[in-house]
Amino acid sequence: MGLCLSVVGPMCAQDASDSENSAGHVPVVAGGMGYIHNVNGGVTTLGPQINPVLLVPFGSHVLLESRTDFIGFFQREDQTSGPFTGKVFKSVDYAQLDWLANTHVMATVGKYLLPFGMYNERLSPIWITNFQDGPINAAIGTRTSGAGDGIMLRGVAVQTPSYTAQYSAYFSALSTINQLQAARTAGGDASIYFTHPRLEIGTSYQRFLQNRNINSVATYVAWQPNTVPVDLKAEYDYSYNGNGYWLETAYRFEKLQIPSFFRRIQVVGRMQQFFPLNGGGNSLPTVNTQRFDFALNYYFRDNFRVISSYGRTFSSQRDANVWNVGLTYRFVWPLWPERKK
Amino acid sequence: MRRYLTSLCLLILLFVGGMAVAAPQHDSASGQNDQKSSPSNNHTQPLTGEQVFQQNCARCHQPPMSISPRTTGTIIMHMRVRARLSRQDEQLLLKYLAP
Repeated sequence: MGLCLSVVGPMCAQDASDSENSAGHVPVVAGGMGYIHNVNGGVTTLGPQINPVLLVPFGSHVLLESRTDFIGFFQREDQTSGPFTGKVFKSVDYAQLDWLANTHVMATVGKYLLPFGMYNERLSPIWITNFQDGPINAAIGTRTSGAGDGIMLRGVAVQTPSYTAQYSAYFSALSTINQLQAARTAGGDASIYFTHPRLEIGTSYQRFLQNRNINSVATYVAWQPNTVPVDLKAEYDYSYNGNGYWLETAYRFEKLQIPSFFRRIQVVGRMQQFFPLNGGGNSLPTVNTQRFDFALNYYFRDNFRVISSYGRTFSSQRDANVWNVGLTYRFVWPLWPERKK
Repeated sequence: MRRYLTSLCLLILLFVGGMAVAAPQHDSASGQNDQKSSPSNNHTQPLTGEQVFQQNCARCHQPPMSISPRTTGTIIMHMRVRARLSRQDEQLLLKYLAP
């Protein structure tokens, strides 16, 4: 690692070709860390985790990036009594090389996160997500590991002052190599973002090309109005194993005329339903499932917050309360000194 | 019970949305409230770096208050790939975050 950085460092510590800014391009370790105390149906789980993202730029057009998860999973010996035991799981979420050719084409090779819906690629990091439990239907379109091994093209198709149309298209090969597991799939995502109402509408498609060929589709919408600090997100997913939706509303008190202490509060509500098809499975429920969640988060700083949430799951198998309390922190650490001008 | 809680959840969502719309707005230096009077609200004018920053970052997460200029270029490259930003957006962001 040190040798690698010593070789690439001088090459990396360059500024962009544009000299109109003072931005540095040095290798960086960024990411999130946190601790989540989860109680699901009476079973307590302690979950410390850190997700470092290594970013190594080569000039201003090529970027090597990789994210590794170290997630602790500790439960009582017989789930409700006894000492806590468990282990820390390590996984490489993605390890990819990006070539930022131009506005319309960015090419990625390696292991990359599958761009399906909003959650997997954009909302899953611990420091971003409003709820630490992902949506029920997050397994749709992300089989088998949430990542693909192969090539992906993405970029901006059209951009005007009023809207931006974006796309992603990928092909992934089957891989069973440790830490590089992926399924043979092909798919893509397209979205349009209307600049002034700050409204995004998108759709994703994936064809699973192993065993049974399966089509999965998603449609999503996100809206952050200009006048109020509300964040509305909703997504509907459909696949051979089932279909379902989630709807999430987040509101921050930052604009209210109240003491500054309370302006750091965020309240979030989420509702979701899932309906299995063909028996469900593949990480999806096998019976009709409904769930609602309510969260109260407090931002000490933009990168440090205390989170808490309550949810209740309803299904014919069981109804359960789900509680989460924890801390999340986002960090950005440079790995190389900037070249002096 | 299930129907009751589903209704309750919808009511909470409606309440949060309603509160957001009805809430009096606090003057802020962030500039978001100034957008009504901003010339950029003219839909034919290009966005500024601050607007690109507020809009694109907030689509997924809380926009960072500050980024060290030393790491800005790398972080923006990463976000350009992740958020599928245009070259123009990248340049505006670099000028805004590391002038």
